[in-house]
Amino acid sequence: MRILLLVLTCATLEAQRAYVWNLPKGFPTPRVPADNPMTAAKVELGRHLFYDTRMSGNGRTSCATCHRQELAFTDGKAISTGTTGEPHPRGAMSLVNIAYNAVLTWSNPGMKELERQALVPMYGEHPLELGLREGDGFLERLRSDPKYRELFDRAFPEPGERFTIANVTKAIASFERSIISARSPWDRYHYGGDDTAVSDAAKRGEVLFFNQHLSCFRCHGGFNFSGATVSEGHTVRDPEFHNTGLYNVPGGLGYPAPNLGIFEFTKDPKDAGKFKAPTLRNIAITAPYMHDGSIATLDEVLDHYAAGGRARDNPNKDPLIGGFPLSAQDRKDLIEFLKSLTDEEVLRDRRFANPW
Amino acid sequence: MRYITLVAILSLAYGQTAAELTVRGDIAAPLVLKAEDLARMPRETVTIPDQDGTKVSYEGVPLREILKRAGVPLGKDLRGKALASYVLAKAHDGYQVVFSLGEMDEAFGNESILVADKRDGKPLFGYQGPLRLVCPNDKAGERSVRMLETLEVVRLQK
Repeated sequence: MRILLLVLTCATLEAQRAYVWNLPKGFPTPRVPADNPMTAAKVELGRHLFYDTRMSGNGRTSCATCHRQELAFTDGKAISTGTTGEPHPRGAMSLVNIAYNAVLTWSNPGMKELERQALVPMYGEHPLELGLREGDGFLERLRSDPKYRELFDRAFPEPGERFTIANVTKAIASFERSIISARSPWDRYHYGGDDTAVSDAAKRGEVLFFNQHLSCFRCHGGFNFSGATVSEGHTVRDPEFHNTGLYNVPGGLGYPAPNLGIFEFTKDPKDAGKFKAPTLRNIAITAPYMHDGSIATLDEVLDHYAAGGRARDNPNKDPLIGGFPLSAQDRKDLIEFLKSLTDEEVLRDRRFANPW
Repeated sequence: MRYITLVAILSLAYGQTAAELTVRGDIAAPLVLKAEDLARMPRETVTIPDQDGTKVSYEGVPLREILKRAGVPLGKDLRGKALASYVLAKAHDGYQVVFSLGEMDEAFGNESILVADKRDGKPLFGYQGPLRLVCPNDKAGERSVRMLETLEVVRLQK
C-alpha cells in the first residue's frame, strides 16, 4: 500500500512539474489552453498515440503516416491518402511549430485548437483520414495495452476515467505543441548571434525576402515565417488568408472544387481560393508546395510569385501578388535563404521520434 | 586607404552599407549623419514586443533630436504654418511613410519615435538595418521603416 501510494505520488508530481520548453533566448513561449497544461507525461503519451496505427479504424495508419518527422512532419506527397486509400484533396501540413499557429489547417478560419483539430483526422469522413468510428472499440484497444495504462495514469493522474477521447486529443495536442523548430542556421544567426551560421548568399536572400518589391514577409512574417501566430503575452490580429492566383478556372469561383479555400466556411465568393500562408521553416524539405502540392520545387514557387501568380487574372488574387523581376543571382540567394530555415535537429530529435 | 576601399567593397558585397542617414528637403542645408554622429547624439532605448510578441530592445536617437539638429522647426518654433509640415521617411527598397512634426513634438503628440541602430545591444543587420525607425506606440508595425536611408522634410506652407 505504501509503495502504491509512493508510485501515485510520483506520478502526480511528474504530471504537475512545469514543462520545460528549452527555447532559445528571444524565442516566444507557446500559448497553451488553460484546460490542457503541458506536462512531460502528456507529451510522452501523445507521442505514443501519434505513432500508433491503433489510431486508425483499420490499423494501417497513424498520424505519423502523413506527418513524417524526417520530412518536417509532412509526407512528401502532393495530396495525402487516408487509411482506406481515399485521396485527401489537400497536402499534409507541417506540424513543426504548430503550437504558434493562430489558426489550423489550410483553410478553416474557425479551427484554432489542436485538441479539436485532432478529431478531424480521427473521425472525419469527408475526407476519410484515420477512419475511426464511434463504438469501434478504439479506447478499449488502448486500455488493453499495459503500456497505455501506465502512460494514461501518468498523464492524467486525477481520479476518474482516464481512457477518454478528450484525454487522447489532449495528449496528442501536447505532443504536437512540443515539436518546436528553433535550431536552424537562421536561428543560430539571429537568436544565437553567430554571423557565420548562414552563407552570404542566404543573407542577401533574406534582404530580398524582406524587401517591399517582393514582400514575401508580408504573408510569411515573424519568427515563424507564417501567417498569424499566437504566443504567451502576444495578442493576435485576425488571421489572414490569401488567394495567390494559382488557378482561374471557369465556373464562377476560379479554383477547382473541392479546394475552394475559406469560401467553404464563409460562403463569400470573394473568399474563393483563399488559403493560409504556412510556415516557411523547413520549406526546402517539404515539397511539393501549395495546398494541393501543385508546384513541385522552390524554383517553380518563385516562378509563380515572380509572374504575379501562374493564373494572374484570378479576380480574388491578393494585391500583394503583383509579380517582380528576379535575376538569376536573386533567385539563387532567395533559395539559399529558404534553405537556411531548415532545422536538421528537429528532423532527427529523438524526443519527436517513434517510441515503439 | 586600400584597407578602407576593401572594407567598402566587402560591405557592399554583403548587402550591407555603413549606417548613414540623410535629412533633406525644406531645411537650410542637407544633413548627413554617420554611425559615429548618431553615437554621440542623445540616445534612448525602448523595449517593445516584436511582430510576433517577442520582447526586443531597440537603441538609437529620437527622431525629434535628429530633426532638431537639421533645423526643423520643433519646440517653440512649431506653430502657425510650421504645423503644416511632415517628414517622409524613405527606405533603401523605396518604402515610404509619413510622420507629422506635431506627433513627435514634446508639446503635441510627444511620440518617442526612434531612429534605431541597435537591437538587443547589437548592430542591426541584414534586412533590418543598418538603421530603422521604431514607433513604440504604433499598434501595427508598418511605419517602423526598416533599412531607413532618408528623411525628407516637407513644409506645405512656407
